[in-house]
Amino acid sequence: MSINIINIDKELCTGCRRCTEVCPVNAIEGEEGKPQTINSDRCVICGQCVQICSVYASNFQDDITPIDVKKDERGMLESVKEPIFAAYNIGHTKLVKEALANPNLYKLVQCAPAVRVALAEEFGLPLGSLTPGKMAAALRCLKFDRVYDTNFAADLTIMEEGSELIKRVTEGGTLPMFTSCCPAWVKFAEQEYPELLNHLSSCKSPQQMGGAMIKTYGAKIDDIDPAKIFSVSIMPCTCKKFECDRPEMTDSGYKDVDVVLTTRELAQLIKGMGIDFKNLPDEKFDLALGNYTGAGTIFGVTGGVMEAALRTGYELITKEPIPNIDLEFIRGNEGVRTAVVKIGNLELKVAMVSGLKNVVPLLEDVKKGKCDFHFIEVMTCPEGCVSGGGQPKLLLEECRPIAYKARKAATYDHDSKLELRKSHENPDIIKLYDEFLGEPLGHQSHHLLHTKYVSRKK
Amino acid sequence: MKTIPNTFVIVNSNKCIGCKACEVACFTVHNENNNVVATVGTVTTPIIPRLNVIKGENFVVPIQCRHCDDAPCANVCPVRAIKQENNTIVINEKDCIGCKTCLIACPIGAIDLLPQYDNGEQVIQLNLKQEGENGLEEKAKSIAYKCDLCKESGKPACVNACPQKALTLVNVSTEKKSRNKAAALSLLQTSKSYR
Repeated sequence: MSINIINIDKELCTGCRRCTEVCPVNAIEGEEGKPQTINSDRCVICGQCVQICSVYASNFQDDITPIDVKKDERGMLESVKEPIFAAYNIGHTKLVKEALANPNLYKLVQCAPAVRVALAEEFGLPLGSLTPGKMAAALRCLKFDRVYDTNFAADLTIMEEGSELIKRVTEGGTLPMFTSCCPAWVKFAEQEYPELLNHLSSCKSPQQMGGAMIKTYGAKIDDIDPAKIFSVSIMPCTCKKFECDRPEMTDSGYKDVDVVLTTRELAQLIKGMGIDFKNLPDEKFDLALGNYTGAGTIFGVTGGVMEAALRTGYELITKEPIPNIDLEFIRGNEGVRTAVVKIGNLELKVAMVSGLKNVVPLLEDVKKGKCDFHFIEVMTCPEGCVSGGGQPKLLLEECRPIAYKARKAATYDHDSKLELRKSHENPDIIKLYDEFLGEPLGHQSHHLLHTKYVSRKK
Repeated sequence: MKTIPNTFVIVNSNKCIGCKACEVACFTVHNENNNVVATVGTVTTPIIPRLNVIKGENFVVPIQCRHCDDAPCANVCPVRAIKQENNTIVINEKDCIGCKTCLIACPIGAIDLLPQYDNGEQVIQLNLKQEGENGLEEKAKSIAYKCDLCKESGKPACVNACPQKALTLVNVSTEKKSRNKAAALSLLQTSKSYR
């Protein structure tokens, strides 16, 4: 059984086809002027169509299904007042609201790096407002038992992926290695280039590493039966809903991440529960799985995963700290950026791809054996996760570049002001390996933090 | 006594794709008083645009006020709520009583009568109530809505928002002069070939 996560409401769609211009995989089909359909075999659930669709349901139109019926069908809370549009993703707020009211469940939540630079926009604050403190406070008001952070899991991902890259480079493993944290990219690779899946890092995404840790280590330290844990993640991404449902994501013995809510859905839930977000005092994330470094938080922007990996990889290889922690030459906008990084005797050739279409020429090169990069970061969304399909939807197209720029700047600013900026220096990461995981790429890591991919080619 | 004709926004029907970005933009810039900021999540009232995208079998275009120089709406309003300000025909929403005379007078249907909102809520009438399922209930104040050429900012939001650049703000005298010039040049070319 599969319900499509991204859909186009045929009653509303006018066939303007603005969505087709942003779809990276040509999954939207239909004639001009007629309702469009999404080919779910091609769709990578990135949600860019949801972000751009401007055809809304008018409250004053009486020849369509009533709006509150539509909202219910889409899984939206009754309390939601915002307008709905033709292209949409199904929601899970009702599920989470019910779980939060269930005293028999132990509710844990993790939040992605890109959420904290955009969530406040839904409450009228300026584009790109950085509010991790208010976000944590709101989640506690919602009665989550533990407020953890995907940024911690991102630090964990760097430990595993950095070690994996070094191993492949020094032991003649499959190169180039591609990042695997973007689930839409992974789905695309499985659909179109299954023969190259061995190039993907075997690391799970931070969300899934976080989920596996929450139901094992998280259960252990709080002395809770993992069967009672309800694990939620807040993501800027619609495809993360697909990722958490992947059948193999159960290495904890349970479904590692039970439900994913987008940034927009979290805002709807906060409003629905009457929480005054704007006036919340700042709170911290819970320790153990909530403390993060700047390297973890920059995962939300294109180039962030690469920069975080280099900050740690440099030190793992040379045993010396990286001379300059801000790798400006790695940062940038949509497209393909390349660099050569000198790490001791190694000249590491890296590439950063954002905008899924842009990865195709690289993949074709890999097929022909012509690609000499060592490590390639791939993000489906134009500027990385800050521009994700689940982020606050802009009313005016002219605000889009302003919003993306502001969210990116806030992310790098947050990183620059944090005390710890390298994943391997996170004391809770060190503690996690000491107490529970052993060492990167070790037996426990392999079981809980690494995964396999599946060909979806038809 | 020179009168400059009123400006207005018109669509190029060949370019419109029916995406309604114009309607969304129109609503957005007119609803700061309803706490609408940059994102969909800040909207708590129904979207009420002042131009309407009309879709038929073989066409789709937005229709909006022409800011008629002999505005029938202004001439029939019994409470004088509709006036010319600069080169724009503007409805004073505070004075409007919702009589709908302007709505019937407008030959292109540019005016709509819909509830008034402030601070995210319907504005409720002082005394007039309506029959509901459970007896008498509050009635919202309804007002006439139409394009005001974004008089607050002076830049029509719909023109900016259109992804196909299908909407333009027409300055009648500039438009006339450029067409006259093009016609004159064309005549010059034709005259040359008659030698």
